[in-house]
Amino acid sequence: MLARDMLIGVDVGGTFTDLVLADGSGGVSFVKSPSTPDDPSRGVVNALVQMAAERGESLERLLGQTRVFIHGTTVATNVLVQRNGARLGLITTRGFRDVLELREGARSNRYDLRAPAPDPLIPRPLRLEVTERVAADGTVLAPLDEAELGEAIATLRAAEVDAVVVSFLHAHKRPDHEAAVRAAIEGTGWRPFVSLGHEVLEREGEYDRLSTAAVNAYVGPALQDYLKRLVGQLKAAGIGVPLFVMQSNGGVLPIEEAGRRAYGAVTSGPAGGAMAGALFARTLGLPNLVTYDTGGTSTDVCVIKDGVPIERNRTDLADFRITAPAIEINPIGIGGGSVARIDASGILAVGPQSAGAVPGPACFGKSGTRATLTDANLVLGLISAETFLGGRMSLSVEAARSAVQADVAGPLGVSVEEAAWAVHILATAGITEGIRLATIRQGLDPRDFALMSFGGAGGLHADAVAQDLQIPTVVVPRMASVLSALGFLAADIRQDLQRFVSRPIRSMTAAELAILFDALEEEGRARLRASGVATDGIRVERSLECRYGRQVHGIPVRVGDSLDDQFDPAALERAFTETYRALYQHAHEGEAGILDVCRLSVYGALPKIDLPTQPAGPSDPAPAWRGRRSAYLGGFRELDVYWFDDLRHGMRISGPAIVESASTTILVGPGRVAAVDGIGNLLLNNG
Amino acid sequence: MSLSNSPAVAPLTLAPLTLAVVRHRMKAVTEEMVETMTRTCFSPILNQSQDFSAVILDSSFQTVSQAERVPIHMGAMPRAVRMMAKAFDGDLADGDVLMANDPYWGGSHLPDVTLAMPFFTDGEIRLWVALRAHQGDIGGLSAGGYSAAAREIWHEGLRIPPLKLVAGGTLRDDLLRLVAENSRKPDDLRGDLLAQLSAVRIGATRLAELFARYGRGEIAGAVEAILDGGEAVMRTLLAGCRAGVHRGLSHMEFADAPGGLLPIPVSLTIDGGRAVVDLTGCPDQVRAFINSPYANSCAAVMVAFLYFSGDEEGLNGGSARALDIRTRPGSLVDPVMPAPVGACTSSTACALIEAVLNALEGADPDRAIGSFARRFRFALAGATDDGTPFIWHHFLNKGGTGGNRDHDGWPNIGGLHNPGGTAAPSVERTEASHPLFVEEYALLPDSGGAGERRGGLGGRLVLRYDGREPAVLNASGEGVLVPPTGTQGGEAGPGHRYALLPPDGAARPIAVHDSGVRVEPGARILCLSAGGGGFGDPRRRPRALVERDVAYGYVSAEAARDVYGLGTDA
Repeated sequence: MLARDMLIGVDVGGTFTDLVLADGSGGVSFVKSPSTPDDPSRGVVNALVQMAAERGESLERLLGQTRVFIHGTTVATNVLVQRNGARLGLITTRGFRDVLELREGARSNRYDLRAPAPDPLIPRPLRLEVTERVAADGTVLAPLDEAELGEAIATLRAAEVDAVVVSFLHAHKRPDHEAAVRAAIEGTGWRPFVSLGHEVLEREGEYDRLSTAAVNAYVGPALQDYLKRLVGQLKAAGIGVPLFVMQSNGGVLPIEEAGRRAYGAVTSGPAGGAMAGALFARTLGLPNLVTYDTGGTSTDVCVIKDGVPIERNRTDLADFRITAPAIEINPIGIGGGSVARIDASGILAVGPQSAGAVPGPACFGKSGTRATLTDANLVLGLISAETFLGGRMSLSVEAARSAVQADVAGPLGVSVEEAAWAVHILATAGITEGIRLATIRQGLDPRDFALMSFGGAGGLHADAVAQDLQIPTVVVPRMASVLSALGFLAADIRQDLQRFVSRPIRSMTAAELAILFDALEEEGRARLRASGVATDGIRVERSLECRYGRQVHGIPVRVGDSLDDQFDPAALERAFTETYRALYQHAHEGEAGILDVCRLSVYGALPKIDLPTQPAGPSDPAPAWRGRRSAYLGGFRELDVYWFDDLRHGMRISGPAIVESASTTILVGPGRVAAVDGIGNLLLNNG
Repeated sequence: MSLSNSPAVAPLTLAPLTLAVVRHRMKAVTEEMVETMTRTCFSPILNQSQDFSAVILDSSFQTVSQAERVPIHMGAMPRAVRMMAKAFDGDLADGDVLMANDPYWGGSHLPDVTLAMPFFTDGEIRLWVALRAHQGDIGGLSAGGYSAAAREIWHEGLRIPPLKLVAGGTLRDDLLRLVAENSRKPDDLRGDLLAQLSAVRIGATRLAELFARYGRGEIAGAVEAILDGGEAVMRTLLAGCRAGVHRGLSHMEFADAPGGLLPIPVSLTIDGGRAVVDLTGCPDQVRAFINSPYANSCAAVMVAFLYFSGDEEGLNGGSARALDIRTRPGSLVDPVMPAPVGACTSSTACALIEAVLNALEGADPDRAIGSFARRFRFALAGATDDGTPFIWHHFLNKGGTGGNRDHDGWPNIGGLHNPGGTAAPSVERTEASHPLFVEEYALLPDSGGAGERRGGLGGRLVLRYDGREPAVLNASGEGVLVPPTGTQGGEAGPGHRYALLPPDGAARPIAVHDSGVRVEPGARILCLSAGGGGFGDPRRRPRALVERDVAYGYVSAEAARDVYGLGTDA
């Protein structure tokens, strides 16, 4: 009998499906396999087949040894971006069918007055009202009208909707009516996807609940279909353990629940990267770490404090809102495909427009002709036409040069190299300022952080970004190209629960708070038990959402781990005051804090990846030397080029130099030193 | 014509790299200033409403870079800082920070307090950093300002002419105390002014880093090129417009005026990449809070051009060089002391922006936008069942925006001075924290101005007052007599129609400046908000869209037939 001791993380991206495998003896390996957008589950199986082949074993044998399988998918994200989700119907309180379209009277761009209004996820004729009303205190003012409900259900069924969203006013106070709608639908024998407002979000705010429930129903059926297909294929191939799905909050959920709570997967891709960042932060003893991932179109910045990624409770996307805990991703409009141009003011600008993968940078030789950051870096000699993406794609230096000449150098009257250097430096400045803002928004100073770069296009700018921000240490992980999948293997099962309170903290008693939190904990543990997690692996975190009476939005307040004062209102009020002070540099001692929401996260431990360590060897990097290359860094220089995969623990490189791998290129600046650590990361500092 | 501008090219006197990076970094400096303000401002509401804006100005007070959270702040600060500097001409030193709010010293309205700091190198002022914040209370007749009863500026609160809040690096605590004690919330004002101070100081620190890195000469060249770029964008925009004189008109509601309306006429002359914006035809100033100080009027004109161009990034202080804004001292848009000005940043700004946009329609009809619902707010004051007094401000149901050549307007976004800028509280919060019950909150059919592109719909809100004792309603706003106008053959939306429906008795309309209206327990307040103005002839609206509008209940079958001609096409 084979030992079941392997951990597998699979991340399906737009171009590649990444697979990371940690075996029981401390070995970690990975494959990248092309994604299959028409049915991504095929790409997952292909990646598994490729891994099995590289290990010289059959797929059945590989899956037979698998203990944990964690999957990250962009299916939910893509459905939202492409607006090709489920056909939705709404059942709501009479008088309130337009909540989704009224959008709380807000819009994100106050200047572009000609922009089109977004189409609500549920068209108006399918937003049906029924008589029912619950008051703010939870009393029933009007019972749910069964006859009207029956008609509404029949109407939506006749309209052939795929999913029904149910959202009543004050349902977080009294969920009975929403629950009754589900029962009534089931009673008819119809089986649409049903999304109840109070189930996705148990708190005040009718727009937040409805929007989150609508997103859930919109992406849910597609995600469920996909996951069913995937499970079918993996079962047929011999997998014998349950699958987990990566969530936006950095945790994972069992596959059935992931399908029901589809809104939780929308920003799960970047969350995997943040979890990997957190893993490295803890492993390397750099608990405060900013990660940035520069891809083709944009850069995602995450801030990790004390080894934990910073979260937010609300994600506002262009057309809708998801109110649920998620790792905070700060996007910057700079990526390899960012277009460089002379703008209407006659000044060079880079991004946020991007050539993306299609038409792509000019040097890709697809249909793109505009100069991009990647073109500039190619002109500068910083990336190599031959080894880009490990040689899978050959780049045209000529196309890059003529694009940079036409779009930038010509209009500015400078040389092609000077123009490309300007684009490179401007991109660095864009990433720098984006990271600075991401930290100061949290009341943090970037100088107290280390910087981690991953994603293909980030490594060329990391050193300069760090120096600019006075960040002492830069980490470039060796497995940067599959970091999200690696991060999956550092995740726990996570259930987030909350209860809406909205009372002054000081008006509460410790007993009330204990009852509240105990109820949440019991429910959370029950959910974890349903996932088959042993109770000794369970960890609980409590937090509050608090504000002053005059404020609208609350701030998250962590509740200490000491059981003595966890439920002591005075201690909780102090915790709020201190958190407020850390964010805003002062607090209002005399003013009552309002406790809006009690929050509880239950974590079920999964076996974690162990990053393998190498013994230290000699410092001479000569074995990894691949030659010299002429590059322009404000002037031409000959740079030593090293192959990342051949660098070993203890080797040291003095800048300026280039370190390349199949997925990224790192520039070690003049006067800087790059050293390889025990787990193979490149650490850049002043030596 | 195309809405994009052909690129101009920067002069070659400066390394293009430095120029691009300096521009980017200066933008980041202003962003860091407003983030610092967000993170340190004291009054709990200010860090959530972000009612403040930051700028970097050159030594002649042109805006080089800005991070504005409030459109109307932009364009008003150059004059404010110019007047502050003038007050201390020859008496400014490194480390000084100036403070002012007085409309008769370059300010807008009294709650908007500006802190400005000259940035020195080698003994000379190179740049200015400034941050303006809307303070919660600055004294005056009513808490929070906006008193419709004000007849002169002193009724509106504390006037702060330019002061040195910080002299040579030392904070004048006595001055700070004087200002703070004139507020109903002295701690808030003091804390928020100190936060403003940290923000401008952060700005100056970052500028020092920038100068250390790039040098005085390079930065001076970059500043000039950035401003020239802003000018080029505006000139290109104007050069693409029809030359000649274009007239624009809007109205403000003012009970003492003939017919209850004050006209706001604009004469716009475009000629060879320049424009004269003539506001001298505006009526005399009035003894009410709707006067707009010169700086605020200029800012409103700039906002109109910003909306017209759609190029938020391209326009800056250099763009203003292409504009010549003319006003008549003593008029509504350039009042002299002691006219009160409280409503200038909202009501008057909306009317002015509308008038300038109306004139610009003639300059480029393709860029025309139908008018927006105006701001109509009321406050309800009463007591909860346990006797605790409450004041509820109506932020819901803002009304629709105008259509444009390519798209219909939006529902529920509201006024041009800050479209969609502040989210309304939820119905659930409203009911949970006040003796109010919302019976209905929905889109209002047929409220969008008809057009080839329809105006956004207004809404229908029915609010019931459930307190035990009568409450009092005070309204202040615009848009009942003046509906959002259509453009290019599009029709107007209906104006706001608000009414009080007593439990027994007849409906009573609520006027825009109603005050002291008694609201009995059980009374309903019916709020039908204005829809936006339409763009283009409704009979040219694509039939599929009219059919969709009928199916969706946005437009009635009758209106589809009578106004849009659905089913009557030959």
